[in-house]
Amino acid sequence: MMRAGPSQEEIRKHNLGTLLRHVHLGGPTSRAELTSLMGLNRSTIMALTADLTAAGLVREELPRDTGRAGRPSLVVRPETARVYVLAFEVGVDRLAAARIGLGGVILDRREIVRERGPFDMGQVVGTLAGFARQMRRRTRDDTVCVGAAAAFCGAVRKSDGLVRSGPNIGAEEVPLAEELSRRLQLGLPVSVGNDANLGALAEHTRGVGMDCRDLVYLHGDVGIGGGVIVNGQLLGGHGGYGGEVGHMIVNPDGRPCGCGSRGCLEAEVGERALMEHAGRYGEGRGRDGVRDVVDAADRGDVVAQGALQRVGGWLGLGVANLVNIFNPEMVIFGGMLREIYLGSAAQVRSRIATGTLAATREHVRLRTSTLGDDATLMGAAEMAFARVLADPLEALSRVAN
Amino acid sequence: MSQGPILELRGINKSFGPVQVLHDVAFSVYPGEVTALVGDNGAGKSTLVKCIGGIHPIDSGEYLFEGERVHVSGPRDAAVLGVEIVYQDLALCDNLDIVQNMFLGRERKSGLVLDEDTMEEMAAKTLAGLSVRTVKSLRQHVSSLSGGQRQTVAIAKAVLWNSKVVILDEPTAALGVAQTAQVLELVRRLADRGLAVVLISHNMNDVFAVSDRIAALYLGRMAAEVKTSEVTHAQIVELITSGRSGELGLKNGNGAAS
Repeated sequence: MMRAGPSQEEIRKHNLGTLLRHVHLGGPTSRAELTSLMGLNRSTIMALTADLTAAGLVREELPRDTGRAGRPSLVVRPETARVYVLAFEVGVDRLAAARIGLGGVILDRREIVRERGPFDMGQVVGTLAGFARQMRRRTRDDTVCVGAAAAFCGAVRKSDGLVRSGPNIGAEEVPLAEELSRRLQLGLPVSVGNDANLGALAEHTRGVGMDCRDLVYLHGDVGIGGGVIVNGQLLGGHGGYGGEVGHMIVNPDGRPCGCGSRGCLEAEVGERALMEHAGRYGEGRGRDGVRDVVDAADRGDVVAQGALQRVGGWLGLGVANLVNIFNPEMVIFGGMLREIYLGSAAQVRSRIATGTLAATREHVRLRTSTLGDDATLMGAAEMAFARVLADPLEALSRVAN
Repeated sequence: MSQGPILELRGINKSFGPVQVLHDVAFSVYPGEVTALVGDNGAGKSTLVKCIGGIHPIDSGEYLFEGERVHVSGPRDAAVLGVEIVYQDLALCDNLDIVQNMFLGRERKSGLVLDEDTMEEMAAKTLAGLSVRTVKSLRQHVSSLSGGQRQTVAIAKAVLWNSKVVILDEPTAALGVAQTAQVLELVRRLADRGLAVVLISHNMNDVFAVSDRIAALYLGRMAAEVKTSEVTHAQIVELITSGRSGELGLKNGNGAAS
């Protein structure tokens, strides 16, 4: 059936979502600013705000002294303390959960160290569900949970949140989304996404890449993950597995990788490569192990310096490829790659200078993550907020029932 | 990024008695960018910075600020232009708290008494604007702060005065790895907020991690001013140690007048 255009109802839904998104991402915003941001007239903004206020998603207040003459425009604030989502993270070394309010404020969080070993879904989901219960028990009666999402350190199918593989955590074909939805009993489906994809989303919406429409986020955990934002959109690929830059082959005859291949970026730059080059494999793990190597290099340990240089060279090669392919405005180093980049930037940037086209590298900025260890949780929260931002009133009414 | 330099020096010469320390030095600093100033010990980095800061008068040469020729004959002149220098030894007073240090010598007054509330508010705003979350209380004595926190306070002090150019002399020299990372990120943030930042460092990883341009001094001459994205570590090391690297650098590598 042909249609002339979107219906009144669809336009209203779209505008409500857009307004809520502005307030969610930009914080308290005056009606006057919203008018110009959205290109709508004042009475429309007033009506939209009234609807969102009635639904309890935003609140209007008189601004504090504006220092200007005239009647001040009312400021629209997100109901951060009332409307929240649950965000989870399943990493190789940690399980984390947070209650994050509309506007992207962490209201509560729980974290536990995960022992390395075989992947036990029941235990992982049980721990996360336990965290969720504890946090929900501490909320006031008038609060409302509008979504839940989890970040996972592996390839996740977009359609149903099935974990296809996570070589570093030993997971394969795990129905994580389904199981989490069942155990949480929120009456809400739980979304699951790749941790680095979600980190990219978080840095793009709230972090160092806020003003960039094209960026590449690299996340170092035990392995290396990536998220690519092109023209403001996360590149998911056909099944949602896109952006697996950690398995880009940089050294065909290189070190074996957990995925079965050889010389993947992750095999040459990941935690194991660094620790082995430094002669410290088995001594320390995770972020602390990496920090110890960077620290030793800084104090003049030549073995540690050599290890960082080798790893930095491979990292630079990987970034050079990404710069040539995507011509990003920014490349962001998150997770343990923050320490590795800062400790080997001379190698990384030398490789980029020699391995990229002058035109593609011209305006690329290299930055470290500003959200740090919260990047993946914040990204999961953005994923969880997606539904309420797409159709605020419908999403809310479904939660209420 | 395509704007002109905010601060530009041309043909700067400076001698101390019979010793000529700077020879015909050109140096440009751009808003929104970190310019790393590198060079071996004795190459003239500190002298150049002190000339910019008005501590040493220049013998000859041009000093341009925002495209205008200016005469800087003392630190006050530099401060009026919006040029602030954070020295290696930090020059913070251990017996004063953070707010007192940030306003030292430039205290706000309300009538005859100090306006403590305004000063505290301004200090808090500046630190928050720099995303500094490591400092617990603004009223704690500087002596109780870690090296990285002291560096942060010194940098915040420089930024407080609506400065346009901030020069940092070896800000990470005495710090451990975790604090170095924080200070480097702070340096980058300053430039990303539109300030022109000059970073003096011997650590090539620090230089490559945050800089947009690198200026290499060799025996009192500017060997090269290059974009960081266009050079390699090996080239910069060559420029520092021999004044030239392939096409880059001084035509007469021994530093003698050509």
